[in-house]
Amino acid sequence: MKLLLPDILLVLLAALIMGYDLYKGKVNLTSTVPFHFAWLGLCAIFVVLLRLPYDQTALYPGGYLVTGTSLLFKQVFVLSALFTVLLSGSYFTPGGNKRGTLRHRSEFLTIILLCTFGMFTVVSATDLLTLFIGIELSAIPLYILSGFYKEDALSLEASTKYMMMGAISTGLMLFGLSFLYGAAGSVTFEALAKFCTANPDEPLLRLGVLFVLAAIGFKLTVFPFHMWAPDVYDGAPTPVTAFISVSSKAVAVAFLLALLYGPLAALHSQLQPVILILAAATMTVGNLGALKQERLRRFMAYSSIAQAGYIIMALAGDAGLGRSSVIFYLFVYAAANYAIFFILAAIGRDGDEQRSGLQGLGKNNPVLAAVLMLTAFSLAGIPPLAGFMGKFFLFAAAAKQGYYAMVVFAALNSTISLYYYLLLVKEAYIIEPQVARKPLMLDGVQFISLFLLTAAMLIAGILPSISDNIMAVAG
Amino acid sequence: MNGSFLLTLIWAVPFLTALVSLPVDRDDHRRIKKISLAGNLINLLLVIGLTFAFISTSSEHPAAAGAKLSHFHFTGKTVWLQMLNIEYNIGVDAISVLMMLLTAIVIFCGVLASWNVEKQAKEFFVLLNVLVAGVYGVFISLDLFTFFVFYEIAVLPMYLLIGLWGTGRKEYSAMKLTLMLVAGSAFILAGILGLYFESGMNSFDLQKLAQATFSPEFQYWAFPLIFLGFGVLGAIFPFHTWSPDGHASAPTAVSMLHAGVLMKLGGYGCLRVGMYLLPEGANMWMSFFLVLVTINVLYGAFGAIKQTDLKYITAYSSVSHCGMVLFGFTALTFAGIKGGVLQMISHGLMTALFFCLIGMIYGRTHTRTVSEMGGLMKVMPFLSVAYVIVGLAGLGLPGLSGFVAEANVFVGAFANPAPLYRFCTVLAVLSIVVTAVYVLRAVNGLVNGPISDHYKTLTDASLIEKIPVTILLFCLFAMGILPGWIVELVNGAVHPIYNNLMR
Repeated sequence: MKLLLPDILLVLLAALIMGYDLYKGKVNLTSTVPFHFAWLGLCAIFVVLLRLPYDQTALYPGGYLVTGTSLLFKQVFVLSALFTVLLSGSYFTPGGNKRGTLRHRSEFLTIILLCTFGMFTVVSATDLLTLFIGIELSAIPLYILSGFYKEDALSLEASTKYMMMGAISTGLMLFGLSFLYGAAGSVTFEALAKFCTANPDEPLLRLGVLFVLAAIGFKLTVFPFHMWAPDVYDGAPTPVTAFISVSSKAVAVAFLLALLYGPLAALHSQLQPVILILAAATMTVGNLGALKQERLRRFMAYSSIAQAGYIIMALAGDAGLGRSSVIFYLFVYAAANYAIFFILAAIGRDGDEQRSGLQGLGKNNPVLAAVLMLTAFSLAGIPPLAGFMGKFFLFAAAAKQGYYAMVVFAALNSTISLYYYLLLVKEAYIIEPQVARKPLMLDGVQFISLFLLTAAMLIAGILPSISDNIMAVAG
Repeated sequence: MNGSFLLTLIWAVPFLTALVSLPVDRDDHRRIKKISLAGNLINLLLVIGLTFAFISTSSEHPAAAGAKLSHFHFTGKTVWLQMLNIEYNIGVDAISVLMMLLTAIVIFCGVLASWNVEKQAKEFFVLLNVLVAGVYGVFISLDLFTFFVFYEIAVLPMYLLIGLWGTGRKEYSAMKLTLMLVAGSAFILAGILGLYFESGMNSFDLQKLAQATFSPEFQYWAFPLIFLGFGVLGAIFPFHTWSPDGHASAPTAVSMLHAGVLMKLGGYGCLRVGMYLLPEGANMWMSFFLVLVTINVLYGAFGAIKQTDLKYITAYSSVSHCGMVLFGFTALTFAGIKGGVLQMISHGLMTALFFCLIGMIYGRTHTRTVSEMGGLMKVMPFLSVAYVIVGLAGLGLPGLSGFVAEANVFVGAFANPAPLYRFCTVLAVLSIVVTAVYVLRAVNGLVNGPISDHYKTLTDASLIEKIPVTILLFCLFAMGILPGWIVELVNGAVHPIYNNLMR
């Protein structure tokens, strides 16, 4: 049962936090106890994850499989949940955010944890049904979380829109999976893989894969299914936006990896052109869309659409480099994204989360401005930051298959993205603020989190151990 | 001292200098400047030591004349990232040593020339030192990945250095420069990945890749990618447009460093990665690039005639002179490549001095428009004489560094018997005449003639300003009068590259 320990602990933690409110009898809106439970618990789970043996696999009853790759994904999910919890701290503190104070902390934390458990299920699935249940378990909580500003029209709109789009995607996915089931006659990956190897040209399979790809495209904000992202990112509370931008994307990637390098491996060569076209379109749409965004959460939406484009591109690679480069990129992408969202939380205390809110940062908060610059450079893929190494491996995965034109296209796209990331730097350093601004105040949690994330961005690229380990486990 | 440790130290010192100045109080500008100066002085001494060590080592172990593999000294390597077998792999040949020497001189003078930076001095010097660390890193890297990493580190700080401390349309220029150079890197990146996967060697090691055989089809598309990618930084036509705006907007030290050293990274990359690793591609594409760089040489010169702003004149002349570097390379003859390398050094010294002087003159007159100045010889004889000398170096006067380089370039290009080469050489030689026109006109407008009243009270260079000017002048003369040892060194390094091209 050792390999199942993180999953069990996660559910227990969720139950504990939910139970805390019940035990107290009346809901205490200002209590920080659940918050401390949550981050401590997640840290503990992360430590447990790190100590597990990555070279073992274990199949549990009901087709619940734990492998090294799934443990790596669980690390991403737990880290993402941890930083979301830390990020949410200031949003539940009265006066911590201009947009309003979030309430019902225990509920919020429980939903985050249960959502993360859904993601655990996705990476452990060995049949289509478990896979589907995992994806739904991870999606439905997000609809609730997006509407967590319960009186804010934008937040409710985001929630509604996200749910509608999610429902359509669910429908498409079930439809697609039913074709796969119809073709293979079984829902297990094993049977599906056997069928795919035997009949790679079966039209039913292609139809099924097409629908599944479209459905997962919604979650991964792949063009042309990306439209919901800017509105949802903008309307949802910032911690939720961060969570959606990292965890929800990571789980969609995990889903694709599980299928593409698992049961559908025989179709991979047929799917490569589709993957490349989707990747090219997605990164272009994201990059062009981000150019004109003034509202930073919308900006991040387009930025993460573009990032999704680079990730999908690597899925055209072979199993070894494709898988390890994508997982490595998820780590560095998560670090950079959370750093940006922590800076947003700092801006959002007294101002709107707008690009102009960054003005004067270089003079008033030189350290924070430097962190912003490093983060922007990491997202843009500038060496020696982790973002560059990540992108380099993604590009290498595509180049290994001989798609050099795609690499040039993606690298030029990344130059476009440098333009709008530099706009952030410009806003923070070069443009003189119209009105005098006070230095931004960071609370302890924000300070420590930003420190950790910055260290991760600086070190993860330079220190070989992380990428080497991922290569050893997933490659 | 262990040679490879010395090389590591040389890029680590500026980086450490940047780190050390981080905790210094923001308003203590003097201390920040002193730290920066000390760091770069140490590095200058280290590089001079390296040069002597290199000369003695290479005379002990001379490379065979017919060798096709560049001979690197002070090598060392360790595996860095296993994922793609990326190594930290360093070593130097004569070209890199000379370029490092140039870098050390220019940055040392640059720090002195920016002694009057008062706005956010801490950030300025931190960024400047990070940039220089990147430049040294490029010159010592023998692993293409590490090479690329350092290359980007050298390019990116430029955005803030120009955007924050520049003049004129600084935000526009900074953005244009950064984006164009990074777009160039995009091509380089694809080219490097191509080299890695097509060689089938699972290595980014320059020496290993040099021994791989690449198919002509691959060389056919990869060579222009790499050559153009690096060529952007070498201001190759039509991707030179970042250069005039960027150099004109940049603060003094940054112009010096960028035009003096960074543009050479472009030429260095073209030679080291493009021509050395893809010789067949080079042979296939060179006449095309020859036409482009001939346009460079002429267009830059004619562009400079039209300008009235001193910095723009120098920036356009850089386009022309850097074109000469690539012109030498595209000649595909021994003398041509050698001339290109010499021109990199000569132009580095010359243009650094140009921008240094312009910065000092602008600091006094507060204008860079030639027609608004005049008679400066009367009030600032030191700066004026220096300007005249560097102007003469620019138009290739014998006895100064420019002549040695340009003579080699043109002789080398004419030595290629193809009619196109002959024709382009004749055209390019014309640029010398045009250069004389714009240089002498600028000099004339600046130092001669009547002086306007409000300039009469201006002072000549202070001691701290005289030091960099003197150092650079000394180097210009030294290279012009005693080019022998440099030529000797360059010969040794160019032979393998040339032999490789001719196989």
